Amino acid sequence: MSEHDAGTDAARTAAAPLDPADAAQPAPEDDTPPTGPRRVLIALYGIFALAATARGIVQIATKFDEAPLAYSLSLFSGVVYIAATIGLVTNHRWSRPLAWAAVGTEMVGVVMIGLASILDSTAFPHDTVWSRFGAGYGYVPVILPMLGLMWLWQTRDQHRTNVDAR
Amino acid sequence: MIQGLAIGILCAGLLLGAWLGVQAGRRRPTTEAQMVAAIVLEAALLLQTVIAIVRMVGGAAVVESVTFVAYSVGILLPLPLGFYLARVERTRWGSLSLCFTAVVVAVMTLRLMQLWQAGRV
Repeated sequence: MSEHDAGTDAARTAAAPLDPADAAQPAPEDDTPPTGPRRVLIALYGIFALAATARGIVQIATKFDEAPLAYSLSLFSGVVYIAATIGLVTNHRWSRPLAWAAVGTEMVGVVMIGLASILDSTAFPHDTVWSRFGAGYGYVPVILPMLGLMWLWQTRDQHRTNVDAR
Repeated sequence: MIQGLAIGILCAGLLLGAWLGVQAGRRRPTTEAQMVAAIVLEAALLLQTVIAIVRMVGGAAVVESVTFVAYSVGILLPLPLGFYLARVERTRWGSLSLCFTAVVVAVMTLRLMQLWQAGRV
């Protein structure tokens, strides 16, 4: 988070909880503020990083021999979610490339594993986070990378000016 | 786990999520009452985790004990994250962040109840 963000946050907190400027702004540009949606993504990615990694570790620790491929994939997806979360939380030169790479990998992974688990269910008898497009997790795993890519795409210009300014 | 407490937490998580969802829909940051509600829910979660682990150590049957403990401890983490985000993000996006984490708590409680019930049969 930049110092600029911290400044506006403090100002907003001071005016909270019912900031009229915030509440009474139905203007369309309000729909794409730079930090807001990112914080929602951080919430979702953080939770999935925790859930997928913990699941992968438990599966590998307790029953790895049953399905080495599926359980390795669980852990891999957890690592991808962790990378995406780091890319979203931090604000370095490498943060956005990391987020792009992680969210992109996630998108490809959930589509490939999703298709494979439906077309050839015998190859994936053991569920992973990405099986059947994440049906076991309310299809959030397939929606999340779409939201992530949309946000990264929509904020690409703001990012460019930020880096130039530094 | 205690069935009544778990059901209470499940409903509270969904209600808090709905309340915050409305707040986000109205483009408002979280109110003080919502933040207090999140703290109360977190306290209930902590109580439930302690009870669950004490009863498990005390010999209550649990089918997937490692998963059960992971869920019991992991369920304590989403709300503080959402709480923090709602505090730094004084917009509707903060409300939405806390909304999602509250719903996650409800879903995780459901999963915990399933794991606990499986051990009772």
